[in-house]
Amino acid sequence: MLVGRSYCLITELGNFSNVEGGFFLKAEFINPFVGAAYDVIKKVAGIEATKGELAVANSPIRGDEVNVVIGVTGDLTGQIIFCLSEATAQVFSSKMLMNLTTDSLNELAKSAICEMGNMILGNAVTALSERGYFCTLTPPALLIGKEVVVSTQVLKFLVIPLETKYGRLTINVALQENRG
Amino acid sequence: MYRIKVDQLTPGMVLAQDVLIPRTGVTLLPSSTLLTMEMIRRIGHFNIEEVYISVSEKSDKEKSEEILAPVMAETHQKSVAVVEKFITNFDHYEESDYTKAVLDGLVGDLLEQVKMDPDLLLNLTHMKSYDNYLFSHAVNVSIISILIGEQLGYSEEELNLLGIAGLLHDIGMLKISVATWKKTGTLTPTEYKEVRKHPTYGAQYLADMHEDIKAVAAEHHERHDGSGYPKGLKGSEINYKARIVAIADVYDACISERLYRERLTPQEAIRLIVGDQKCFDPQLLKIFLLTMAVYPIGSYVRLNTGEVGRVIRVVKNQPFRPVLSLYYDRKGELLPEPIRLDLSQDVNHLLYIKETLPPTDHKKVAKQVAETFPNSI
Repeated sequence: MLVGRSYCLITELGNFSNVEGGFFLKAEFINPFVGAAYDVIKKVAGIEATKGELAVANSPIRGDEVNVVIGVTGDLTGQIIFCLSEATAQVFSSKMLMNLTTDSLNELAKSAICEMGNMILGNAVTALSERGYFCTLTPPALLIGKEVVVSTQVLKFLVIPLETKYGRLTINVALQENRG
Repeated sequence: MYRIKVDQLTPGMVLAQDVLIPRTGVTLLPSSTLLTMEMIRRIGHFNIEEVYISVSEKSDKEKSEEILAPVMAETHQKSVAVVEKFITNFDHYEESDYTKAVLDGLVGDLLEQVKMDPDLLLNLTHMKSYDNYLFSHAVNVSIISILIGEQLGYSEEELNLLGIAGLLHDIGMLKISVATWKKTGTLTPTEYKEVRKHPTYGAQYLADMHEDIKAVAAEHHERHDGSGYPKGLKGSEINYKARIVAIADVYDACISERLYRERLTPQEAIRLIVGDQKCFDPQLLKIFLLTMAVYPIGSYVRLNTGEVGRVIRVVKNQPFRPVLSLYYDRKGELLPEPIRLDLSQDVNHLLYIKETLPPTDHKKVAKQVAETFPNSI
């Protein structure tokens, strides 16, 4: 299962190999994020996610209704931005909060969504360290509102859309390698 | 502060200075970080040779905790004893300055402790035996109700009332025969019917007291959807403080060891209550979850890195990121000493709680920890 997924990623990434600059496209960097997101979504919501079409986009990143920004420093530097609709965020936060239904995105729901981003990155960074890349994370920041635009230091970023039956979670990866 | 070679670092040491990534100036770990295995591995990875370590490995908070914890434990026991005396002598109750002074004094003590250190107090509510259940239950329900009241922004006066109401909510049990409420097996229909009268008895006992105190005794078994007893009141028909005490009552009952069943883990109890939006005021459930947090005090949890510890403090507005006392390393071996880990600190954001231990493991681990680290809060 995992092998199939990685293989699929690597072949798709081949299409982007001519993108220059600090932007990294090595599958060994990206697969940990995708794998971590699959695992966390499965653990939190008990559902399978499927990967949509990968794309490369230019900074700034246009957000969705709910956006979690987490900074990465160390061997890789930059930002990871999770974007999802409010409806999707509400389903995931409710699952994180013992099925408590929240009519709006209150403080509890917000901390739940941040924690979900944290869990995904916690897993991803652990997977990266197994490949020899050591990073630390900054605490998640939550940006709410459809008009949110995030400018990143890294000019090109990778867009990884994950589809679930509760809606889409997009992971924007704007990282560059800090060494070599 | 002293300098130490990186290969001599052990988890639990505290950094006295920022550790920077060589040649970049980027802070890898800020000063006063408590080192974990993972962090030491990361320091080694960046070819850092030496770092500065604090001589004292305990924060001011921990030091004050060491002094405060036994004092609070003693006060808590004293409160239970006073409640026991007060409730068992209740037959002779008359509304008097004396009883008023006793109750105000008791709740005053609890309120003071809540202000001093609510988390230490909550830790105490999770350690108890069943021999004086009725009385420790009264104190614990009072404490948990006060904490919910605080989250609601109650005034001192309202908190005082809520605290007294919590202490006296089960007073009607005095009219039920001891044989019935201490019974280990299933109640007969007659006994069950008798027990269901305790709210009515309670209200009779407290007839001369404040409206809210009376209502809490009368209505703490009423449920949001009307499925409660004795009157089958619904939603807003139920006194607001009675709705608060109902939640505190069920929570404390769930986490207490009773003669007739095993106790639930704190998280199971929260899950049970929060999942029951038919029985409890949904708005209050959110306040309750915010008060107790997703990983409540007393929970044994496993981190994504494999370490196992107990939640000893909740961090305001961070229900997923409490302070832990770690007892087991990532291989499941007991640590030589507990390590305190604050998950809400920026530097610990690589870590997260992966799961709470299931009840059987919880029990086993709790026993081993109590034996190995008797002084750990």
